[in-house]
Amino acid sequence: MPDTLYRLVYMSRNDISDEIEPQIGGILEISRENNRQAQITGALMFNSGCFAQVLEGPHHAIQATFERIQCDERHSDVTVLLFEPSDARVFSSWAMAYVGAQAAAEQRFGHLGRDSGFEFAALDGNEIFNVLRANLYDAEPGEGVSS
Amino acid sequence: MSMIDSVTELEALATGIAIVDDDNVITYSNTTFARRLNIDTLPRRLTDIALAEARSRDLLEWQLRDIGESALTIEIAPGRSLTLYIGARRDGQRLVIAAIGWPHRDESTLDLAAQLDPLTGFGNRLMYAERLREFEALGARYAAVLVIDLDHFKQVNDTLGHGAGDELLVLVAQRIRASTRGNDTLIRLGGDEFVILIPDEKRREGLEALARRLVDLLGRPFLVDGHQINIGASIGIATLLGDSAQLQDLLRHADLALYEAKHQGRAGHYVFQSHLEQRAFDRRDFEVDLRRALGLRQFTLHYQPQTSMREQRVIGFEALIRWEHPTRGRVSPLEFIPLAEELGEIASIGRWVIRQACQQAMTWGDERLSVAVNVSPAQFADDAIVDVVRDALAHSGLAPARLELEITEGLFLEESESIMRRLWAIQELGVAIAIDDFGTGYASLGYLNSFPFSKIKIDKSFIQAEPSPRAKALISGILAMGSNLGMATTAEGIETLEQYRQLEHEGCNLAQGYYIARPMPAEQIADFLGQFRLSAAQAS
Ligand SMILES: Cc1cc2nc3c(=O)[nH]c(=O)nc-3n(C[C@H](O)[C@H](O)[C@H](O)COP(=O)(O)O)c2cc1C
Repeated sequence: MPDTLYRLVYMSRNDISDEIEPQIGGILEISRENNRQAQITGALMFNSGCFAQVLEGPHHAIQATFERIQCDERHSDVTVLLFEPSDARVFSSWAMAYVGAQAAAEQRFGHLGRDSGFEFAALDGNEIFNVLRANLYDAEPGEGVSS
Repeated sequence: MSMIDSVTELEALATGIAIVDDDNVITYSNTTFARRLNIDTLPRRLTDIALAEARSRDLLEWQLRDIGESALTIEIAPGRSLTLYIGARRDGQRLVIAAIGWPHRDESTLDLAAQLDPLTGFGNRLMYAERLREFEALGARYAAVLVIDLDHFKQVNDTLGHGAGDELLVLVAQRIRASTRGNDTLIRLGGDEFVILIPDEKRREGLEALARRLVDLLGRPFLVDGHQINIGASIGIATLLGDSAQLQDLLRHADLALYEAKHQGRAGHYVFQSHLEQRAFDRRDFEVDLRRALGLRQFTLHYQPQTSMREQRVIGFEALIRWEHPTRGRVSPLEFIPLAEELGEIASIGRWVIRQACQQAMTWGDERLSVAVNVSPAQFADDAIVDVVRDALAHSGLAPARLELEITEGLFLEESESIMRRLWAIQELGVAIAIDDFGTGYASLGYLNSFPFSKIKIDKSFIQAEPSPRAKALISGILAMGSNLGMATTAEGIETLEQYRQLEHEGCNLAQGYYIARPMPAEQIADFLGQFRLSAAQAS
């Protein structure tokens, strides 16, 4: 069964200190390109403190993608929360969410999603997301990035 | 291509040879290569060839990103593997050689192939030696070596199997590759040891930054075979600073630095300094001395009396090993026992101790006196311990009931049936087994219930602690537990009359410590026994 579906959930510390928009835009762009080729779907959540990502796909594809992501200097303290076979994809395409205190997030980051083919979503109701969201809220520094 | 003169010669070769361009497009392939990789038309991208596993393609693509030379074994169809030797990229093209199966010794006629580790694509020892020769020939004045050793790698192999171990090594190699530069030479020395040979490195800060990055990266989680794996890395660094005479020493120095890095707690790095060499020499001398000590009869046993608190009577002695070295003087067991365990010398030293203790106990002239011998967990690693005890009894003629082995809680850190089996076998010989240094180990107390120990010896740190309510509570807890389990309790390290009185009051059974007597040579035992009887008689 070489192509069993696996799901990986990790969180990491966001080390992007400035130019967060173009940086995130860049990550989304390359992710969409690479992930589609590798048959990976999933979601990326972020705020100024943290990233959380869900990747779904074949084992080798997740492994190879995760190896690249690990070496990315834009984040650190990568913690794997879950890595296991799964019956079906929760995300059949791509999703992206900004999770933070800033109300204007859709306004600010929404175009990133549209430009890169990600669905900018609220991602409510999903269990993984409820956990990740709670973690992200905890990790966001006081005011977040204000502009 | 200077080694091969014409295309016709290339065609005739039984070796599969191809040339790929910057985009990994095969621009030339001889028939053997085309046949092995099932290629019918050119041009064709090397990464587009049919492969049994998608993973192989990832590895191949990854390997080709690197401009240096490497090797890779891939499954071309189920059960059919090919080893690709990929040459360094020069002037927009590179040579690729395809050999059938896993690399064999006899393919080492190809220089490059012989110098490569097919699992990771890194070089091997041969390549390291070759590079050193090149450096030497060039009169290199600056170079650096990083030795990377993985922590906990053995556990991965043991628990998840060698397949997972190999997969992990491939990922580790990729992370190392991603952190280094094109002109660094990457070597897998074997097992889980990697080397980075860096030409022309002058700045120590740069090397330390690289080491920190590697320790960080290799400490991050890996996904292997459906599992998350966390390992770590320790790194030793050695540099050649303007002195090419030391080129041959680089790896050894980096290894010494690695030893130091591990010694200081894993997951860190250490830069070689000359005093490490002296320290290594000293350590070696110490090892040699220790290995000779038994043969040169430098060990002796001293005996410390154990008394019954209620009866005011000596019930026996604990045998304690002493090493008297002609130039080092007296070496503490705390120093040499751990080394003896590491070197495997503990088995023969331990055998000598048990034999000697049994023999000397036979000369005490009192059939009731017991002799206690310390046995290290390392001695319980195999069944030999049972024979050692049986032989010592047979050889000396000592009544088994007079012998007691003192073991520590460390023996029960890992639950092991074989250890329990050995304990029961010794118990069946009629020999008693006591728990030493009680309260200092981290074993769960469950083991106390699983074996009829003769005694619990309360560690001296409790006895000598400030008489706080907490220390008192601990001691009375241990004493109560002993009496519930039907095991005698011994207080070790009693130094003062107050401590003695207090323990006696609390119901402790046996006493040992400077307050009663220091350990003494065997010759003084008769005198001591006489005096002790006298003073006990006077006191009562
Ligand atoms: C939080 C985070 C998430 C990322 N997610 C992905 C992803 O899902 N897929 C992907 O290809 N790259 C992702 N990247 C980008 C990779 O780290 C890397 O920059 C990219 O794959 C390009 O790699 P390359 O330069 O080795 O080709 C992510 C980066 C960050 C910081």
